[in-house]
Amino acid sequence: MKIGIYFCNCGSSIADKISVEAVIEASRTFPDQPYVTTVDFICSEVGQAQFVASLTTEQPDRVVVAACSPRDHEATFRRCLAQGGMNPYLLQMVNIREQIAWVIEEPLRATEKAISALRGAVYRVRLQEPLEKKQLEASMAVLVIGAGPAGMKAALSLAEAGRSVVLVERSPFIGGLPVLFDELFPTLECAPCMLEPLMGELLHGDYAEKIELLTLAELWRVTGYYGNFTAIIKKKPRHVDLHECIGCGECVEACPAKTGNCFNNNASERKAVDFAFTGVLPNVPFLMEEVCLRSVGEDCRACKDACPLGEGVIDLAEAEVTLERNIGSIIIATGAGLYEASQVTGMGMGALPDVYDALQFERLLSSTGPTGGKITTSSGSVPARVAIIHCVGSLDKDHCSYCSGICCQYAFKFNHAISTKYPETIITHYYRELIAPGKEAHFLLHGALNRQNSIFTRYARIGDIAVTRHGAGYLEVSLQGVTTAADMVILCPALVPAQGTDKLAALLDVTCDSAGFYGELHSRMDASRSTLKGISLAGACQEPMDIQKAIIEGMAAVGHTLAGLQPGRLIDIDPVTAEVESKRCAGCHLCSSVCPYHAISFDGEQHISQVNGLLCRGCGTCVTACPAGAITGNHFSNAQILAELEGLLK
Amino acid sequence: MSEKPKLAVYWGASCGGCEIALLDLHEKLLDLDAAMDFVFCPCLLDSKKKDLEAFSDGSIAVTLFNGALRTEENVEMAHLLRRKSKLLVAFGSCATGGGVPALANFTSREALLTTIYRDNPSVDNPQGIIPQYSTAVAEGMLLLTPLLARVKHLAREVAVDYFVPGCPPEPHQIWRVIETLLSGELPSAGSTIGCGELTVCDECQRTKEEKRITAFRRNYEFYPEPTVCLLEQGLLCMGIATRSGCGAPCTTANMPCTGCYGAPDGEDDQGAKMVAALGSVMDIGDTAHLSEDAIAEKVAAFLESIPDYAGQFYKYTLARSLLGGRAGR
Repeated sequence: MKIGIYFCNCGSSIADKISVEAVIEASRTFPDQPYVTTVDFICSEVGQAQFVASLTTEQPDRVVVAACSPRDHEATFRRCLAQGGMNPYLLQMVNIREQIAWVIEEPLRATEKAISALRGAVYRVRLQEPLEKKQLEASMAVLVIGAGPAGMKAALSLAEAGRSVVLVERSPFIGGLPVLFDELFPTLECAPCMLEPLMGELLHGDYAEKIELLTLAELWRVTGYYGNFTAIIKKKPRHVDLHECIGCGECVEACPAKTGNCFNNNASERKAVDFAFTGVLPNVPFLMEEVCLRSVGEDCRACKDACPLGEGVIDLAEAEVTLERNIGSIIIATGAGLYEASQVTGMGMGALPDVYDALQFERLLSSTGPTGGKITTSSGSVPARVAIIHCVGSLDKDHCSYCSGICCQYAFKFNHAISTKYPETIITHYYRELIAPGKEAHFLLHGALNRQNSIFTRYARIGDIAVTRHGAGYLEVSLQGVTTAADMVILCPALVPAQGTDKLAALLDVTCDSAGFYGELHSRMDASRSTLKGISLAGACQEPMDIQKAIIEGMAAVGHTLAGLQPGRLIDIDPVTAEVESKRCAGCHLCSSVCPYHAISFDGEQHISQVNGLLCRGCGTCVTACPAGAITGNHFSNAQILAELEGLLK
Repeated sequence: MSEKPKLAVYWGASCGGCEIALLDLHEKLLDLDAAMDFVFCPCLLDSKKKDLEAFSDGSIAVTLFNGALRTEENVEMAHLLRRKSKLLVAFGSCATGGGVPALANFTSREALLTTIYRDNPSVDNPQGIIPQYSTAVAEGMLLLTPLLARVKHLAREVAVDYFVPGCPPEPHQIWRVIETLLSGELPSAGSTIGCGELTVCDECQRTKEEKRITAFRRNYEFYPEPTVCLLEQGLLCMGIATRSGCGAPCTTANMPCTGCYGAPDGEDDQGAKMVAALGSVMDIGDTAHLSEDAIAEKVAAFLESIPDYAGQFYKYTLARSLLGGRAGR
């Protein structure tokens, strides 16, 4: 076997420390006595040309490149091998720069280590085998999960770029959490008005046809791989046709059944068939089966009869449907929710009247909310004393150890909203830390700080605060012996991943971090990509953030998606995968439990496991796990690894 | 009448079970006697070392050597039998991988002797007398063969032609080995014979599915479901990392495999394979919200349910493993 060692001097970076003469001398004792060629900068254009020319003349069977980290240039040198007429996987790189020349002071020792590493590489490369890349066509369609600001922005931008989008939303409406709000920090812009152009474009704009919006829908299962996922989506019955309905509300008028509206803290009523709230988009009611009189056996069809558009709009018999969509990539934009404030003892959440969490108070402020935007206590009076408690469950190792970053700003917004309506109301902010990052947050901060009737009180631990009720009357907030009366208490809990995040993560096989948010590929360099190829993250499902950042993240996810899959470009399937040697597999099923990519299936007839080379990512987990030694990792076989070790230790 | 090929059976550090397994050939023993001349076997025949020394080198066709090498005498006999035999077979788990005696490699000779003769709760030895290699008595010197620093398997000391695993080897496999060796069509030198090429799972009739083990359990704790994979039920069944050929009698009897047929074909370290496999399917539950310390605690608690790592994973193969034990280092 003819083996060529190409030794890169890397200018003086390598040559100063490692004696190439000593390497040449030592190489005579290596198996097959490889030839050694030095190149000054093998990664440079000139160097690559020299390398390819030498490969063409020498026609070696195997090649070792002693240069920098394979992370830098393995791909480069593999391409050179291909140009030189060789299979690219017959290359082994030795990192003699970062791992040897740069970290060892003494040239003799550096040379000695380089010789060992090269001997290991020569032992290994002799056992390397040619591997062939496969190429596959990819689907250009994209699945976006969640129709909040990030998801909507991503879906619309992808549609503008000509991509088909399946937009799956679990609730009956689009717009996410902020569409339920009145004004938004930092500029006090009206939330529905700010979101309306985006929502309008999404539903009725020039590119709306590219977007398939599925409301009341959830992802149920995903199979396949980057470029060719199959998504199974379960869509609950809305009973009102999303496209035929014009939102006139005649059916709502006619409906005889009533219940509390969960989108308004259950503080207002809704009919069985009704809009989620006034002004909701899509402007189409949905029917709650469990409230409808038909659920108790009555043959009511009042809504259907009232519909001025005829029989086709309301379908009382509609059932849940399972849809299958083929897509190439996925964007997760499932957003966040609030930490359950009742988990924090002493806050009175859920136990005392007039104690609200931030989302409930947002609805109280909203003109589409239960009170039409009027702030009143449960007894109907104007609250003269309001306590706003910051950092509920935040920066607290017993609850959420992080700072959510947005709560202070909406708390100042609450201060502004209350004081605009009731200037005499005394507002006490109980806070552990105050933050106002960025170029705009200080307006609301200073507004609150400078207001005459605002009091700021700092606390050390949330456990120091107790919210109680004075008899059957007003509330009291006590902190270290000081008790202050309040007519209303607003809690600002930590932001946590939306309900069901863990379930979706398990379903998609992406990781979650210790706080439960989706884990990034890299928290600085690749924060909008998940750990799984082809699945991007957008918005507050990645970490607590405001609308501005969510929208930007939506666009970042679009960028990754468009850059990754392009029409006409095939995707390469890396041949570094695992393979089952069928005559050594005893069918114990152990490997199928460990594959993170669902690449292993069991052939019931032959009683052996099989690896799907398209799904396999070559991680090697099954290779290690297989107790029978029946699975080989291509390019990382036991024989290759042991040979390398043998060479290193010789 | 032409002379029958000669057979020798010897034991090193062993329990005698391999000889019993040979006797379990039952009526096949008559066929064996018809085919071979059984010339040396201290356990079953009145044959002495001097009888063996009297044979010319290479005159014994087959020697089945069972037991590990624990003493200098074991080593001496191994060399002698090697010299006298055409084919030397490491017979049974102790000869192939060190077996149970090799678990002593986790301790020193001195600690071994003081435990056995002085410290064990059942020992009554008020003077604390420990056996010595040489002891002066009125009649002269009494000599005992010294213990080796480490227990070895046969191939570490002499060249071995074939390996027959099992504690003990199953009689039907012993007969196959004898037939093969007499057939003249010999397998390639150094191979493991008298066994299968897969793992015990291939012969175990229990249904197997994906494995997620949430806790290890021991036999006394419950009565295992008779048709479901024992490992899936939390028993530390070594069958997944054990060479086939025994016919899975243990799992058929509702007992987990202890691994006596050794590492699967082509694998060197049975314990390492088993540990790697278990590490991949141990399910410590949701770790998403846990700190690294909390996760480490959960893993440690899980591992508490394995009472004896070496005895569990290297019961038969410690001497031959990469790990090898640490005594004397």
